[in-house]
Amino acid sequence: MSIKMLEAGYPTPRFDAMAKVTGEEKYAVDHTREDILWAGAKRSGIAHGIIRGIDLSEARALKGVYAVLTRNDVAGTNRQGIVHKDQPVLAGSKVRHCGDPVALVLAEDRDTLKKALSLIEVDFEPLHGVFDPEEALKPEAPLVHEAGNLLQKAVVRVGNTIEAFNECDSVVEDSFEVPGQEHAFIETENGLAWLEPDGGIVMIVSTQAPFRDRFEIAHALGIEVDAIRIIAPYLGGGFGGKDGATVQCLLALAALHAGGRPVKMCWDREESFIAGYKRHPVRMWYRLGSMRDGTLHALQCRLIYDTGAYAHLGVEVMALGMEHAGGPYRIPNTLIEGWCVYTNNPISGAMRGFGVCQTSFGIERMMDLLASKLGMSRLDIRLKNALLRGDRNCAGVTLVHSTGIVPCLETLGRHCLWSESGKWKAAAGPFKRRGVGIAAVSNAMGYGRGLPDSAIARVELTREGKIRVYGGVADMGQGNASAFIQMAGQILRQDASRMEIVQPDTSRTHPSGSSSAGRTTYTYGNALILACKELKDKLLHRAALMLMLDEARGLTLIPGKVRHLPSGREVPLDLLGRTFPETDRIAVKQFIMPVAQDDVDTGKEFKIGFPHVFFSFAAHLACVEVDELTGKIDVKGYLAVTEGGRVLNPTGFEQQVHGAVAQGLGYGLMEEVLLDHGRILNPNFTGYIIPTSLDVPEVASICVETVEATGPFGMKGIGEVGTNAPLPAIAGAVEDAVGRRLRRSPLTAASILRATASGCGVDG
Amino acid sequence: MRKVFLPGSLEELWRCFEERPQSTVYAGGTDLLVGTYNGVLNPETLICLDRIEELKGVGDLGDSVRIGSCTTHTELLEEPLVQHHLPVLWWAITQIGSPLVRNMGTIGGNICTASPAGDTLPPLYIMKAEVELISKGGVRLMPIGDFITGPRATRLHGAEILTAVWVKKPVEYNLSHFEKVGLRNALACSVVSMAALLRLASDGLVEKAALAWGSVGPTIVTCCEAEEALIGGKLTAARLGEAAAIVRKAVNPISDIRADADYRRTVAGNLLLRLTVAH
Amino acid sequence: MKISFYLNGKQTDVDVPPDRKFVNVLREDLGITGAKEGCGAGECGSCTILVDGRACLSCLMAAVQLQGRQVTTIEGLAAGGTLHPVQEAFIEYGAVQCGFCTPGVILAAVHLLNQNPDPTREQIRVGLSGNLCRCSGYVKIVDAVEAAARKMREGKPR
Repeated sequence: MSIKMLEAGYPTPRFDAMAKVTGEEKYAVDHTREDILWAGAKRSGIAHGIIRGIDLSEARALKGVYAVLTRNDVAGTNRQGIVHKDQPVLAGSKVRHCGDPVALVLAEDRDTLKKALSLIEVDFEPLHGVFDPEEALKPEAPLVHEAGNLLQKAVVRVGNTIEAFNECDSVVEDSFEVPGQEHAFIETENGLAWLEPDGGIVMIVSTQAPFRDRFEIAHALGIEVDAIRIIAPYLGGGFGGKDGATVQCLLALAALHAGGRPVKMCWDREESFIAGYKRHPVRMWYRLGSMRDGTLHALQCRLIYDTGAYAHLGVEVMALGMEHAGGPYRIPNTLIEGWCVYTNNPISGAMRGFGVCQTSFGIERMMDLLASKLGMSRLDIRLKNALLRGDRNCAGVTLVHSTGIVPCLETLGRHCLWSESGKWKAAAGPFKRRGVGIAAVSNAMGYGRGLPDSAIARVELTREGKIRVYGGVADMGQGNASAFIQMAGQILRQDASRMEIVQPDTSRTHPSGSSSAGRTTYTYGNALILACKELKDKLLHRAALMLMLDEARGLTLIPGKVRHLPSGREVPLDLLGRTFPETDRIAVKQFIMPVAQDDVDTGKEFKIGFPHVFFSFAAHLACVEVDELTGKIDVKGYLAVTEGGRVLNPTGFEQQVHGAVAQGLGYGLMEEVLLDHGRILNPNFTGYIIPTSLDVPEVASICVETVEATGPFGMKGIGEVGTNAPLPAIAGAVEDAVGRRLRRSPLTAASILRATASGCGVDG
Repeated sequence: MRKVFLPGSLEELWRCFEERPQSTVYAGGTDLLVGTYNGVLNPETLICLDRIEELKGVGDLGDSVRIGSCTTHTELLEEPLVQHHLPVLWWAITQIGSPLVRNMGTIGGNICTASPAGDTLPPLYIMKAEVELISKGGVRLMPIGDFITGPRATRLHGAEILTAVWVKKPVEYNLSHFEKVGLRNALACSVVSMAALLRLASDGLVEKAALAWGSVGPTIVTCCEAEEALIGGKLTAARLGEAAAIVRKAVNPISDIRADADYRRTVAGNLLLRLTVAH
Repeated sequence: MKISFYLNGKQTDVDVPPDRKFVNVLREDLGITGAKEGCGAGECGSCTILVDGRACLSCLMAAVQLQGRQVTTIEGLAAGGTLHPVQEAFIEYGAVQCGFCTPGVILAAVHLLNQNPDPTREQIRVGLSGNLCRCSGYVKIVDAVEAAARKMREGKPR
């Protein structure tokens, strides 16, 4: 393939694709060292209980077992957590979910490890568990944590809904429920750790937050932050499930007790289900009121988020969900109440679409319901109320930055999948009913207020004349590493063959926050642009010195060189690299994402993560065919129209959109963490199914460009917004096809058959 | 250490059984090795039949087809004899698992695993296939409906293997149909399935019918009453609906994480209605 | 037990328990980490390798089953340093995101194209239906395989 220049805005192949298609790229799970020990956790197996005792004698006696550790071996607080540190590294007194770890085994090989784990006997005093968040709020409910089962109650409100509902011409009300979703990254949680001679820990781990991991480990185990080095290779998927310590604290603990030997921990798929984090199951009640002409006037909703046994990012997830509960619409009066509740279910945490996936289902179904009641088109009612720049959203925040939901909806309206939908539906074959549904969604970018959304970029001209970017944010597949190469290449005018990137390494790169919240390309990208501009300036000045120019003018970077345009003389970059010391060949710059300036007098309970001020937008359309004999839903066509400012790499943009649609489609049609009193009934890929290549249709992706003036090359992050639309779009399409409103996801064939057989309009 | 034999012939196989009579036999391993590697099963000794060439291949014996038990699903899909003479089986095999599973899994494995959801089973039942079982002591032939006695239970003796399945070409029928209902379009365990063979006269009247359902009972369900209800009339929605009602009484599905019994019962009947458009 | 097979064309011997899961033989005993283990149950396809040219699940094969067989892993696909057209197309058409499923998908695609050099998009989807990808939604993977098929049919130089 010919070498192309790196140009912002141009479809660019992934920088890491070559190593990945040849199998050369090493993920965390591919790393190993000489003489490793394998570490594994004994999981409680019961949802709620007091630990009376643990019998480790047989496990310890097994040949090949190096050590068995318990809570007593944890020197620090024994508490991990991103915001709320409520999760034990090893449970000492009680267990709160089936995946709570009670002991840690180090063994010579995995078979011995498995055997040893089976030999550990825990004497539990079982406690009554609570598995329903509404039950958990009752006074007589078993307490998951001593301080009570309510982790956080919060209210987001603007205007006066009591008066406003009285003023409405039309009011609709409904309830919805969504279950837990599994990230199902193909590379499970894993890491490799060892002690250096100076006693410091080095850990290669599949993580979205290498810099923060150190703090979690340090706080939990009572060691110094700077004694921990975390290396974050490319992840085999993350989607939020590797944001926050998974193996990290256990692995560090193991490394401290391994007699200097390196230790590897790798969760198999079942353990990943049982111990890993999930999307929050949510119950929602909505009431939406409008004027006769469809202008939205009042919104009230109650949202209950089941955060499982530990907080993880539960409050922040709920906060974002509440902030998006009104969708991308102007609603002058809102009362949004949320309860984030502990149960003895598996831990809910961050997952792509972070609380918004759930409330998008609620508000979008309400919009369809209202449209139906008013006799308005589902597109028109959305267009009528869609936010414009300068409007306030349902949290009262003024949208001062790029706001492209209207052009998204207009583009959708002009697409043949919408305009010819009548013809398509009429052509349904025997026993098939066809329907078309739409959804308008948004998703905030960045951390919001209360936490600096910061990145520090470092870029260097190497001795060999290459440009090396020191990446601060993990690349879990979204392609931010490639985006950074593209940006740096654009500014420094080098092609990909002259670029290098170092994946995050707390000893070599700089703290830049987590790979989450759609923020990495924006925040780190902005820092990188500053750093590249400084480096460029420096290199041109140094080249001027080498060319003995009396002023640093008329100089430009070209691939491999600096050229003085007036004279045509050139300085090769590798000569520059060898001539100047390293400290003179680098630039390090920080960028902090701007925050909302509105002092909204609501949501005060949220110390961090509320409100946000940057949003990406999308409008999706789903064409579905329902089989009357089996109830099965086939998505025959799909359109995603997305606005994320300017598009840096059209290929990368489309990759994100396709992937988000596929995950949303799985969420809508087939994915559900099935629980029975806190125990997962489907902790494997046989029982928990995600879409295959035969389940995702051709997805048409159109991007609508605005200019996000504050963004690197005018862009915003769009990693999450696409996951929020498929469920409501498909639910709308199903209703269009069979005249039944489904209120629970996944929208299974069985639920369709039940709803159509029942004769009434709704699913139970 | 677990021993794994890899015999290259039936003679070698009998010697393996002599040495380890309690051996567990497999061919593709797509079912057995899952359980073995995750610890649910703990076979003391394994025998892999993959190298025994005489267990592979499809032969045309005039009015029957003989299918070697260790023929993979992919090989069967590529075999003109199967596609041409046994289309209802061919269609079912296209629905098994995934191409990777089909490249390794065998028809013998599908039969001996005897899952009520085994995709090859409804077609084999309606074609009244017979299984050929061989041990050192000799050969037995048995109708498949007798061979499978319950979920994951067969009449296989110790030190005996399934060597082939004999299928009479269903020449007395002129319409074949198979439908599998799963929760997604690949890598899906059947939730309900139905295989059908019919003979329609030139005026559309049903003269003969053979029907079988999967995943709606401990073994494959056949229903003579439903077949009889179709004979003598056309394949109309009304007649098929009557037969569907009969079928719903005949099936005995369970509820599990994939589907509840009501759904399976309803759909087992509904699938008959697809026959109005099958031709 | 000594097991002898051909790994990417090269004769290879290992001394492992005969029932050792073959993906572990590759990844741990031989340090060949292109094939991944994503589920241990044959449900994700990330362990896909070619055995005598057939795409198989190495997490469901006992080591002894590979005796004498020709095993091709992703590392062996590029002949003499030149990428296979499927690999090239995956780069060009944006079919690689996190890349963890990629080796398995590429090998399944190679097998598909060897059997059917001119597949429709639907046939490509069928051919790859045993390989789960959580990142891509499959669309660009299908684009890439379609393009690779076209290139291979046209006999363009590799």
